[in-house]
Amino acid sequence: MKEKTAVDTAAFVEAVAAKQGWTANPDREFTASLVDGLTVNWNRYGYFLCPCRDTEGSREADAAVICPCAYAQADVDEFGHCFCALYLRPDFAASGGVPAGIPDRRFG
Amino acid sequence: MLDTLEYLTVDGPDRSRDVIVYALSTCGFCKRAMAFLEGRGFRYRYLYMDKIPFETKAEAKKLLKERWKMDVAFPFAVVDGKEALVGFIEPDWKRVFGEQA
Repeated sequence: MKEKTAVDTAAFVEAVAAKQGWTANPDREFTASLVDGLTVNWNRYGYFLCPCRDTEGSREADAAVICPCAYAQADVDEFGHCFCALYLRPDFAASGGVPAGIPDRRFG
Repeated sequence: MLDTLEYLTVDGPDRSRDVIVYALSTCGFCKRAMAFLEGRGFRYRYLYMDKIPFETKAEAKKLLKERWKMDVAFPFAVVDGKEALVGFIEPDWKRVFGEQA
C-alpha cells in the first residue's frame, strides 16, 4: 500500500471537517501534530486510527475509533470538540474555545 | 512487569515526585501532558505504548487497569505510586501536583 504523507492526511482532515460541518482545530501546531499522528497510524496500521487511541490489534477491533470516530459527533456536540481535539464545533472555534482533555466514550 | 519496562527519562530540576507517563507518540494531549511536567521542571519517566510489542503493551494495560481500577486511555500517569491520572484533564493534573486548579 502506498504510504501517505502529512499533505495527504491534511486533505483528508479538511474533507472530513467539510463533510461533517466541523472546523479543524485552528491551533496549527497542535493540528499538525495530530495530522502527523494520523499519518503515522495510516502507514503503520493501514487505516486512520485516532491518534489518541491505542490499537486493539485489528481494523475490526478499532472500527469505532477510526477517524472520524464513532464518538466524534457526540463529543463535538457536548464538549465543542472531539476526543483528540482535531475537530471543533464551528461556534466553539469561533468563540476562541480552547479544547481540554475529555473522557473517552470508548469506555463509556 | 511494569517495573521492568524500558522507560525513557526526561530530566528536570524537580525530583520531588515519581512520575511515569504512559503515552502514545501520536497523541496531542500526551504531548500537552508532558509539556505540563517539563514546564514545571519535573523529572519524569515515560513510555510510548505504541512503540512497544503488542503483547507487552496488552499486559501493561491489563496490569494498570487492575491496579488502578480504571480504563487505560492516554496519557495515563502514575504519580508517586499512589495516584493515577487518565487523560490530560488539566485541573486534575494541577491538583495532583499541588496547584490551585
